[in-house]
Amino acid sequence: MAGRSANGRHGLRGHAGRTAALARLLHKDCIQLLELYRNSESLPSSPVDGDYLVSIPPLVPQLSDEEKISILHAALKECLRLLEDVITREDAEFSDEDSEYKRKRKTVRDRLGHLLASTEQLLVDGQKFEAKVKEELDGQAASGSFGLKMWIVRVLQDLVHWTGQTSDTLHSMPAEMEKAPKTMSRRTRRGAGKIRK
Amino acid sequence: MQGWVTLALLLSLGVKRSLAQNGLGEPRGLTLNPDLPAQTLSLAWQSDSTLFDLEIFHTEFMNVVLNATVEVQADPVTGLHSWTWHSPLPLECTSHSVRIRARNQQSVSQWSPLQTIPGWDIPEKSYMFPEDKMIPVGSNMTFCCIVNEKEDFKEIKYGRQEMKATRLSRRSYAITVTNQPASDNTGTNVICSSQKFQMLTGTVVFVGYPPGDEGLVCETRDLASAECSWKKGRDTHLRIKQSLTNYTLNGRDCLEANERKTWCSSKMWEENWTLEARNPLGTVQLTDSAQLTDRVHLLAPVNVAAVKVEAWSATLQWSWSVAAYKKLEMVCQLRLFAHELSSTRNYDGPGLSSVVLEGLWPDVDYTVTLRCGSKHSFWKWGDESAPYRIHTKMDRPDALDVWMWMDSSNTGHVFWKPLSVRKSHGALNGYEVSQSSAEEDGRNTVSLPPGNFSYPILLNNSSDVTVAVAARNPAGLSQPSTVTTPAYRADSQLSVSELLGTNGSFVLSWEPNVSASSGYVVEWFPTGCTGLCPIDWKKLPESDRSFTVNSDSLVAGVRYTVSVYSLYTSAPTLLQRWQGYSQEMIPSQSVSELSLNQTGSDVLLSWKATEMKQQRGFIRGYTIYLASAAHLDLIANITDPAVQSYRVKGLTLSSYKFVVKAYTSAGEDAGATVAIKMEMDTDMLFVGILVPLGIMFCCIILFSIFFYKKREWVKKAFYPEIPGPKVSGDWSSPRGPLDVKPSPHSLVHIVKNPEWDFTKEGLFPVPEEEEESENDNMEVDTDSDEPALLRYYNQVVGDGSHSNQVSDSSASSTASMGSTQTEITYAGIQSPSSSQGAYSGGGYRPQMQSVTGPAEPQIEFEADFQDDGLNAGYKPQCSWQLDSPEAENFSGSLGSPTSVTSSQFLIPESSEEKPQPSNTWFHNFLSGKS
Repeated sequence: MAGRSANGRHGLRGHAGRTAALARLLHKDCIQLLELYRNSESLPSSPVDGDYLVSIPPLVPQLSDEEKISILHAALKECLRLLEDVITREDAEFSDEDSEYKRKRKTVRDRLGHLLASTEQLLVDGQKFEAKVKEELDGQAASGSFGLKMWIVRVLQDLVHWTGQTSDTLHSMPAEMEKAPKTMSRRTRRGAGKIRK
Repeated sequence: MQGWVTLALLLSLGVKRSLAQNGLGEPRGLTLNPDLPAQTLSLAWQSDSTLFDLEIFHTEFMNVVLNATVEVQADPVTGLHSWTWHSPLPLECTSHSVRIRARNQQSVSQWSPLQTIPGWDIPEKSYMFPEDKMIPVGSNMTFCCIVNEKEDFKEIKYGRQEMKATRLSRRSYAITVTNQPASDNTGTNVICSSQKFQMLTGTVVFVGYPPGDEGLVCETRDLASAECSWKKGRDTHLRIKQSLTNYTLNGRDCLEANERKTWCSSKMWEENWTLEARNPLGTVQLTDSAQLTDRVHLLAPVNVAAVKVEAWSATLQWSWSVAAYKKLEMVCQLRLFAHELSSTRNYDGPGLSSVVLEGLWPDVDYTVTLRCGSKHSFWKWGDESAPYRIHTKMDRPDALDVWMWMDSSNTGHVFWKPLSVRKSHGALNGYEVSQSSAEEDGRNTVSLPPGNFSYPILLNNSSDVTVAVAARNPAGLSQPSTVTTPAYRADSQLSVSELLGTNGSFVLSWEPNVSASSGYVVEWFPTGCTGLCPIDWKKLPESDRSFTVNSDSLVAGVRYTVSVYSLYTSAPTLLQRWQGYSQEMIPSQSVSELSLNQTGSDVLLSWKATEMKQQRGFIRGYTIYLASAAHLDLIANITDPAVQSYRVKGLTLSSYKFVVKAYTSAGEDAGATVAIKMEMDTDMLFVGILVPLGIMFCCIILFSIFFYKKREWVKKAFYPEIPGPKVSGDWSSPRGPLDVKPSPHSLVHIVKNPEWDFTKEGLFPVPEEEEESENDNMEVDTDSDEPALLRYYNQVVGDGSHSNQVSDSSASSTASMGSTQTEITYAGIQSPSSSQGAYSGGGYRPQMQSVTGPAEPQIEFEADFQDDGLNAGYKPQCSWQLDSPEAENFSGSLGSPTSVTSSQFLIPESSEEKPQPSNTWFHNFLSGKS
């Protein structure tokens, strides 16, 4: 993504451009949030082993950009839910002392909400996708406070991953998408109806 | 081999038999009951003995972790022996096996069968123990990591610190952390990593302190309930919710208390209070005991208001939010804040709800706050009310402080001091000045705006004038202040004493005056001031005999006139007057009009003192310095300031710079400088020149007369007659041309040049001085051993002016041939360049041969000759023409025949017309020729 212009390689304008910029900004925020958490907990910088908690259908090339956005929107929605869970559990378990991590956490939550609202305007009418969440913790991770911390790391890793995916997808969209968001081809609908709800 | 086995069985049977013979039965029914969170293992068994040997192993490697002998009595009810072991290692870390045997002194029973509790290193997952432990700071703890199958253990980190691990079993590893520090907010992470994963598994430990709260104090706010508070102690470092400190007050949960709020309330007052603070690491109990009336902490009064405000007082009212306060004997504190001052007043009474504030000042803004407390068994001041503002009414101003100052016999000013806020009692509108005299009826009243503080007085006649001044504000007119004109006394009419300042102040004292029935007035103002001067005064009671004028009203370096007047019913009378400086300073300006006047070797310096304003102190004298380049030399110190001139005596002829400085008690001023260059007296100069000249002239005349009269003696003594040379033949008239045949050994090579002009070039005598100077350049004959008695130098004659010096070398050569003591050397050769410049058409060129060494110069000249092609080269002379008539005169100047030292040609004198040589005048003088 480095080196791209603020509005993407294809020169997105208007709402799509702003959404792409917001996605990029949020992605950076998520990276910083994960870094802050790892530093505060003296955790290694390597990712926690295991699949992503949020899973979506593969973003195959046959899918249209709009369908990809719809799928990623579903993933981000689950990410927001997970982040709110993290906030709830952290505040329940630990003291609510102010810290840079907590301020950044709030920023990410707010911007993720804005990104969801923004991407929703790019979705195809009536087209809904659903992402799955692996609620159970990986058996390798311990329970208790350490298990909670590992789960938080994994949620933050998911945030980094899915915001990055969304940012990349939005920036790879052609400029003309902005002009006719509602006239998305039927072809794309046909190709992505498998998990339609 | 079979033999050894048989022997071992026999020995074993023998031991068993011996044990059985001891009567000690093997413990039976050993059971293990682990408490995993507590890391304890409870053992229970049956036996008739009371002393037992215990052994506990880590089963997999059979490492002994306990080998002890314990005395355990059987439970009388169950008959079981119970013993609990606290494991330093979480029991989940690996399997533990236990065996036990009875002991009676040295006799022991057989070991019981091993009993084992399995560890968590048997399942295939990864674990880390213990989990979420809370321990005090400084504790030691062992952590273990169980890696799952197919994983290779790498390390265990405690926080960021890598720890040394020991292996407990095939899959279990342990670290022991000692003296653990307090954890951060979310505990200390202990992370186990494998070769494959950096975070294989982990656990969190919470290291902190038990509660440290202290200082429980309970009080009542409403005379019924209780509020207890305490001080938060040391930070527990336990941040997780389940480890936060819980509080109970007299056994009741105190839910409002937490890490930040350290107070708890109770609906009813109890005389004894106990606060218990508890967290997972410990409990602390705080107690307090008091009667309700001893702990009354009143709430703030409400609805504070001033119901009646006057110029000098106000009535304040308020109410209480707690009805029970109305019967409480209380004390209230009122704090008044004004612009420049604040005051505190206390009032008391039962259920106090209003007070009258006395002693206020008119037209002043006050801010009032109020707080109250229980009068009996005062505990502490209650909460303070919100500030309330009161503005008092105005009142008539106070009387003015008036004084009259006369600057002449019939003019003066009446002055009054501005009223302070405290005395004006409201913003002033102006002043009213009334003037009356004994001879005139009625009063003449003038109104002045508030900015005026003086009014001019003009006396028309000799009678005293009484002036009354009053101030006016919206509330009314002040009492008038009267003053009668004092008699004018100029300084010249009085004996003014010198007054010295003390620490910037004037300390005055005077003799008492019986007529001063109304006291005294001390007046001071800058000396020499006229018109509206900054007059200041102080009225003193009649009992006072001294006064100090403070430095606040005085300016350093300013001369003040200080007067003391006695007051009575009529006009003030001057008692005493001084002049002085509160603090002397060095003069701000140097002496003026510094001049000097030379009289012979003396210099008279004169100057004028600076003006009084610039003196800034009493002039005590003058210092006179002689200034040099680097410093000042003191030459005089005049201690009488009236003396303003000084004579410097005995100066030599040189330049001088004088510096004159005036000084006060504070020091010298910068100094005025004057310079002079001492000049000789013109009369003496004239005498000094003429007298030596006259003496010298007389001496010359006397010597001349003497030598003239004794000239014969002088001639004989210093210049005897030289006889002429005696030669055969007639040498006196060689009229024809003298042919000289040059000797082959002659030093002169005659160059034959038919075009050569004898009038231009030739040999001529050179004076001794010229010879020497030319020898320096030409280096000719300097090595010759022969005396050079006569030398002839060949020289190009540039123009006709030198024609009289041309001589005939041939004649001289001839003359020299006959003399054995005369050697004529033709060594000087005219330089080619000179020849060219003087005679470009060739002509005479001296021969280049030399007696001593012709070779070297010849080479040099050959080069020059080649360049000189236009001059037809160097050619030897063919003959000598004696066409110069001067040549004949040289013979007349020849010297002694025995010693020819003359540099002249030895040529007989042939013509009278030839000019005399330059040295012949002395001959003539000595010989008497004119």
